[in-house]
This record gives sequence, C-alpha cells and structure tokens, in this order.
Amino acid sequence: MAKIVLSTGGTIVQQRFVDTETIEIGGQADNGLVIDDPAVDPKHAAIRCVGNDHILEDLGSRAGTWVNGTRVTRHILQHGDVVQLGAFYVRYLNPRAAEADFERTMLIAELPRPTDAPRQPASANAPPARSRMRFPSGRARLTAGARAGQTVALDRVIATFGTPGQGLAVVTRRPHGYFVTHVEGRRRPRVNGASIGTQPRALAHGDRVEVGGEAFEFAQDKA
Amino acid sequence: MAALTDAGSVRQFNEDAIAADPDSGIAVLADGMGGHRAGEVASRMAARVVFDHLQSRVIAFRSSAGPHSALQALDESINRANKAVFDASRAQAGHNGMGTTLAVTLFYDNRVALGHIGDSRVYRLRDGILTVLTRDDSLLREEIDRGWITAGEAGESHNRSLVTRALGVEPQARAHLAEDEAREGDVYVVCSDGLNDLVNHADIALILCALHVNLPLAAGHLIQAAKDNGGYDNVSVILAKVMRPFPAASRRGWTRWFGRLR
Repeated sequence: MAKIVLSTGGTIVQQRFVDTETIEIGGQADNGLVIDDPAVDPKHAAIRCVGNDHILEDLGSRAGTWVNGTRVTRHILQHGDVVQLGAFYVRYLNPRAAEADFERTMLIAELPRPTDAPRQPASANAPPARSRMRFPSGRARLTAGARAGQTVALDRVIATFGTPGQGLAVVTRRPHGYFVTHVEGRRRPRVNGASIGTQPRALAHGDRVEVGGEAFEFAQDKA
Repeated sequence: MAALTDAGSVRQFNEDAIAADPDSGIAVLADGMGGHRAGEVASRMAARVVFDHLQSRVIAFRSSAGPHSALQALDESINRANKAVFDASRAQAGHNGMGTTLAVTLFYDNRVALGHIGDSRVYRLRDGILTVLTRDDSLLREEIDRGWITAGEAGESHNRSLVTRALGVEPQARAHLAEDEAREGDVYVVCSDGLNDLVNHADIALILCALHVNLPLAAGHLIQAAKDNGGYDNVSVILAKVMRPFPAASRRGWTRWFGRLR
C-alpha cells in the first residue's frame, strides 16, 4: 500500500497510508493531511485514489502545488515523488508500482456511472507507458534515386527505401542497432554490393545500401 | 492474414491466445487473466469456442444471410465462450476467478463484424490512417473520459492493465458488437494490450504503412517493436488485409481475398 510521509526541516512530522478514496491536504483541521504553514491554504490540494493510481490535484491554491520542483495542477503520483507545500515536503512511497507489478491484466469494478457529467467523445488514445529503452541515432544519405542528395534521419522505429512493387526494403531502429530487411520485389537489397537475402541484416557505419533504384550511405553516431 | 503471438521479453508464459483462418474470414484474440496459469486456460478456451462456433456458421452467413445473422453468430459464439469459461472457473478451484479479454473480427459480404470485451483492440488502417474501432473496457479509459487525467498523462498511470469487463467472470457476457464496411486495401489489426501499451499509435501506423504489402513481416515487426520497448507483457497481433471485394453473392474467389503469406 502507498504511503505519504510529511516532513519539514528534515524532521518527519507525520506518516499515513493512502487508504481512503480521497485525502485532502491543507491548513484546516478536517483535512486528511493537516499542514500548518502560512503558504498553505485551508484546502490546498487533494489526492484522489483511482485503481492503482493516486492523482494529486491542486485545489486552486495561492502558492501552488509543486512536485519535484515543478508546479502542477494535476499529477499522477510516482514512487519517490516529493510534493512541496510551503516549508513542508510530502514524500510519496509506492514501491509496488515501481516494480511494474501492475502489468498483469486484472479485473476491476466499473466506476459508477456519472449522473450529470457530460459524456466525452472517444478522445485520443492513451499513449503507451514511457519506454525506458535507449535507441541509437543514425541517418541515411541518399546517393541515387528520387531523393538523391537528401539526408533522412533514422529517428523512428522504421523507414522505407526503394520502389513499391519492384524493390522495397525497411530500415528498423532497435536498441542494439539498425537493421535492413527485404520487404517485396524480385531484387533483394544489396549492402556493399552483396545481396542480403530475406533475413534482416545489421548495418554498420559507412555501409552502402542499394534497393529498388535508391541508394544510400548509412551513418550512425557513436553511443 | 498473418497472426503472431509472443510471451514478450519478461514473462515466462503466454496468457494470450489467437485463432485465425483467412478462408473463413475469422480472427479471434484473447488475453487471459487469473492466477496459477488459469489465464492461459481461459484465453485458449474462449478463442477456441468462438472460432469453432463461427466456423460452423460460416456457410450460413456467406450465402447472403445478411448482417443480422453474422452479428448474431458472433453474439452466440461470445455467449458460448463466456459460459464455457464461467463454468470451468467454477468447476476447478485453481481456475476460480479466471477470465479473459476478447477481440474478434468476422468478414462477410464486404463487411466486418466486430466483437470485443476488455482491453484487446481492433484497428483499421485505411488510406494511411490508423483508427481504433473498439473502445477499451478499462479503468484508464474511464479516468480519461471523466477528465480526471488527460490522454497525455495516461502514460504515467499504473492502471493500464485494469479491465472493467471480461469474459467468463459472470453468467452473462457483456460484449460490444459493431460492424464496419470493409474496403479493398484496408488492413484490420486485432491485438492484445501488449502491443498498444508498448508501441505508440504513430509507430504502429508507420510500421503498417511501410509493411502492409508483406503481412507476416508487418506482424513480426510490430511484435519486435513491443519487445524492443521493454516487452514486459505478452503481445499478440492478427493482421487481415482486404485484397479485393467479397460480396456475398459471388462465391468465386472468396477463399483468397486475404493477404497471403509471402
């Protein structure tokens, strides 16, 4: 279970589990977390629990709510976050969330239907969890074909070269380097003059690639 | 049609199950849940029951029976799978509480019937634009809908694997059914959340645009991208490409309107 630790001047003042649906934070005595500080409003901020998430919201305070040095109006708390309120610090501890323990599919009750809230349109899709992988940085300098003279940054997961139907290849960016793979067409791509067949081939800095009327020189930054 | 499933880079076993057949225009994907490998049992059972039932009904809705019967067959198949998983979960103590998500596409008469429950998805790539045709039954989706968090903040959420509906956890299935007009050139993607949790929408679209001429390669690259981004979940994809129109009236040429393995 997640825990919050309130401290000031290096001394722990209070600790509590995040075990209620909402925890209000402020100077008033009826808050779940009472902070007596001139810069903290009577109702300053709140933590709302939704599933595995604890969402910190500023309640329109004068001095603002700061997480790890950045002012926020709303923030999904992450293990180790430090919330600053006046001269006080609230540290959020949730080691289980840090272990990606929640990635297994589990069933949870639907939230009760809101009675008055307008139903929003099917909004943009949730983005994926932030990738912790590092990817190399490379580019292709085209020397033949319609794009000759251009340099194409290989900064996406995949890039296409050649001519559809005749000779088409993709260059994929992976954590351990770049690979060129034949996609379609009678003629296989050639790297430094040799056909690569149907399997992906790792690219090295300076490799020359020809495919379907296009040719490029591959360059990769040192890691 | 191309179908691939992978345990990912972290997990030892695969709770996803897939069943697909281009000749009958059926693609079924299930992502199981439940302890002690019960998720594997649930997803396999659901995929099998849905697939078998639809296949037994293919002749009926191919011979002009119309959308009603295709959606009806889909509904029946989902209810059967729900009952099978629900009964099995009560019959064995180790299977208690097991369930599964489900996403199904059924192609017939220039259309596609879609069924889903949970957070497995169906997408369509048309004219280079990738669209999600299903709406996740997930807590994350509800948080976004209520304005508690924005879609942009969702990447920081710990709720990405909490589904609000699943197959086999209650006596009656509460699945979503829909249909879509399938056009020549469209690519349909059925996937488990291991794909869309690990690969962003733009990258999925980019991979499909680059590789739709070679579906097995596209499926392999989607899974590879998910694993390269951490691969901490099972990941499965089924790709189906409409090679030419397939009206109910013309029996000829039915069998090969999907992408062939090249």
